[in-house]
Amino acid sequence: MMRAEPWQTAEVCGPTKAQELKKTAVVGALIKKAKHPLIIVGAQALTEQTLKKSMVDYFIELSKATKIPIVATGNTIKAFKEKGFENAYGYGAMEITGRLQDPDWMVAPKKGPHDLVLTYGFPYYMEWLMLSALINFSPHIKTVTLGRYYQPHATWSFPNLKKQKWNDALKEILTAAGGTE
Amino acid sequence: MGPTPMPDVTTLRSWDHKLLTRYRPAYMPACQLCCLCTFGKCDLTGGKRGACGLDIEGQSARIVLAAANIGCAAHLAHSRHMVDHMIHEFGPRFKLTQGEGVEIEAPVSRLVTGIRPRTLEDASAILDYCETQLTHTLSAVHTGQEGSWIDFESKAFHVGMIDQVGMEIADIAQISTLGFPQSDPEAPLVEAGIASMDPKKAMILAIGHNVVPATYIMDYAAETGVSDNIDVAGICCTAWDITRYEKKAKIVGPISWQLRFVRAGFADVVVVDEQCIRTDILEHAKKVNSPVIATCDKSAMGLPDRTDDDVDDIVKDLVSGKTPGVYLRDHEKIGEVVVKTAIKMHPKRKKKGSLPSKAKIQELAQACRQCSECVRSCPNDQPVMDAVLAAAEGNMGPLADVYSECIGCARCESACPNEYELHSWMVKAAESDWKQEQFMVRSGRGAIKDTEIRTVGQPIVFGEIPGVIAHVGCANYPDGGRAIHDHAEEFAKRRFIVVFSGCAAMTVGTIKDEEGKSIYERRPGTFDAGSVLNVGSCVSNSHIAGAAIKIASIFAKRNLRGNYEEIADYIHNRVGAVGISWGAMSQKAASIAAGFWRLGVPVIVGPHGTKYRRMLLGRADKDESWKVWDARTGNRVQIAPGPEHLFYAVENFEELMVMTARLTIRPNDTSKGRAIKLSHYIDLHEKYYGYFPEDIHRFIRRETDIPITLKDKIKAQMKANKWEEKAIPDPTLVRRLVYGGNGGGE
Repeated sequence: MMRAEPWQTAEVCGPTKAQELKKTAVVGALIKKAKHPLIIVGAQALTEQTLKKSMVDYFIELSKATKIPIVATGNTIKAFKEKGFENAYGYGAMEITGRLQDPDWMVAPKKGPHDLVLTYGFPYYMEWLMLSALINFSPHIKTVTLGRYYQPHATWSFPNLKKQKWNDALKEILTAAGGTE
Repeated sequence: MGPTPMPDVTTLRSWDHKLLTRYRPAYMPACQLCCLCTFGKCDLTGGKRGACGLDIEGQSARIVLAAANIGCAAHLAHSRHMVDHMIHEFGPRFKLTQGEGVEIEAPVSRLVTGIRPRTLEDASAILDYCETQLTHTLSAVHTGQEGSWIDFESKAFHVGMIDQVGMEIADIAQISTLGFPQSDPEAPLVEAGIASMDPKKAMILAIGHNVVPATYIMDYAAETGVSDNIDVAGICCTAWDITRYEKKAKIVGPISWQLRFVRAGFADVVVVDEQCIRTDILEHAKKVNSPVIATCDKSAMGLPDRTDDDVDDIVKDLVSGKTPGVYLRDHEKIGEVVVKTAIKMHPKRKKKGSLPSKAKIQELAQACRQCSECVRSCPNDQPVMDAVLAAAEGNMGPLADVYSECIGCARCESACPNEYELHSWMVKAAESDWKQEQFMVRSGRGAIKDTEIRTVGQPIVFGEIPGVIAHVGCANYPDGGRAIHDHAEEFAKRRFIVVFSGCAAMTVGTIKDEEGKSIYERRPGTFDAGSVLNVGSCVSNSHIAGAAIKIASIFAKRNLRGNYEEIADYIHNRVGAVGISWGAMSQKAASIAAGFWRLGVPVIVGPHGTKYRRMLLGRADKDESWKVWDARTGNRVQIAPGPEHLFYAVENFEELMVMTARLTIRPNDTSKGRAIKLSHYIDLHEKYYGYFPEDIHRFIRRETDIPITLKDKIKAQMKANKWEEKAIPDPTLVRRLVYGGNGGGE
């Protein structure tokens, strides 16, 4: 199933197509190069698990290791708040997609404007459209999707991955950033 | 008469531009190509323009307009058929009425056209205007016409407004001529659900939105004394309208239930009219020997036109299976053919279904190729393959679980390389559940009475009734019935007015309390705080807009006729109404939303609503976006960001709860009203987001706006944000509306 093609079969994109993340080191390099990256976490983080931990814990670890602020959409923010994590901000998924089209917008003072956005945790069709908005109307931003399935509208995306391979990839990204499993 | 009777495409452009400047469209194109003309395909990535000169923003806005045009056309054609038919039946001078207690009849039509439609002839004249406008807005989509995103959007607003007029005319025509409930808060409770059908009776299933053919069926059955031998049941909006015509008629359910019902074999005859019909219904009906009668020129289904043939010959051919269906244009003949065929088919069919046995499902499932194509094709991302693999082991539970989230699209079947009828498998697995489906729903009441508006107008405008929530359109997914039920119940408990229409109005009834009662049995059908009411079918949506318009007209005594901008400005700034279409799927839903946008009413859609590919988002962080004229002083005044967005897709139910409360805030709220609205917003925010919202200080104009029980927290937030007292204006976005002519022409 290692295919760089849209997961939902009818979702056909335009001429531009995300580069396939064959090596997770690319994510580390992109983060290192970016001045003001941002992670956007959707509500699937509340139900999905990886590496024996919840995805909320995973992103808290990643954020702590990389100092990247998190936007947790909708009720996802509740889980971050309950864990006492302070570098998370609440926005709606559509709100943050809209705000990022403003090249001057930043999630908090001195934490932007953003030039790299990492996304995870949305229904496939919704993330497809969010990334489309960014690729078309936020030319100042590169995007990396950390979900299991290929998203052509991102700048970088995993191909469609088996769960174990995806878990391994996320683990590599976290450990390379200095986080713990 | 106001300044803009029968506005043309650009008459209200400056109003649209005001809204579109505050609520800037945020486009999310599904792809970056245009393939509408032979110049193309054109690549619109990276700022490139197509051969016609259009860029991706313009193209995205063009798609919005195209969708609104299609939706409006569907309603308007329905309306035209209804009015022409009724003129044919009753004559052009037949009087229109919406019942006692309604003096301001047809508020939408009067607002837009300046005409009070007293007769069917007047209604026809209004439709002439609407059809002209639709032709113009549709033509703007053609290659080489409009090129600006903001003007595409303005035209989408225009055709949305026209759509509301068309819907209103359709519903008033049928209410007036067919004996429907007329503004009746106590419209009858009617039976719904598969278990409400009597298997001993011949069953006629009517699918679609245009009730006229079904009325002839019920009339013929009554005239020939066979009413007690048949069940007439409906799917989608025809279901609502047959119960408005005859309370013994039954409701199967929403659009997404057609495939399961037909395949289960209940229908002895399937009658289709227009809109929201599965276009392959004939194929499915053939498998269960249910003849199909197509009754509408919009959906002739490839069937032979037998209008000029003898009734008994047609019935003979249908019953024998010589033809699987017919297209009939004569309503009298439809009534006779359908009833006669159903009665003859009933003993012959013996409710023959096409659902496989569980043993057969298990056997077939063992040959599943595990290719995941079923999952990849499911719009709702259901774990179909895992459920099939469980079935292979004899465990039907997961298939039944998928059924509960399934919208009946059957894309999984089309994708399956083994050609498994996966939807039928789910239906079979959940058989014990759906065979119990029986619930009570309140039939459509029609318009809101003037007397009801007089009671609630002031508390709505002052914010003391914190909002009017309108659930419209489909509730397909995700978890449609439960989501909208829980939402409606929560907001009704909080003394909001909750209004339903269309398929959402059915789906909400599927959830019952511990005593087995639906929300309609628990809550009154008046337009009042804490009530849950059903205005009726899709075209009855217009009564929701009509209620908002009547608040401006009756409570505020604003001039109604031909005065769109002033009334919309009033509604936008004062009436805390929010439209919700949780599982919207159609272009009609797009045009309905567009009508509300032009009135300044925010609309929320469920997560699949992102596929409309454009949001209308405000920027709460930009103070300059939130300024109004104070009509009393002529001063430019800062307001809180409310309503913050005009079109918004929520990610899930939890976001819906919070966003709904947030979008009811209006500049004109009194201090008491603002405090009430903030209490609800804060409470829901804390419940679902887990913390006290950080933006409350923005909504406090004076200390009297502070909800008393939250004073300490809010005052601390105000202090931290260097809050300063602000004026409570008499708000308007339109400078000419400043009293004493202090305004210019802006």
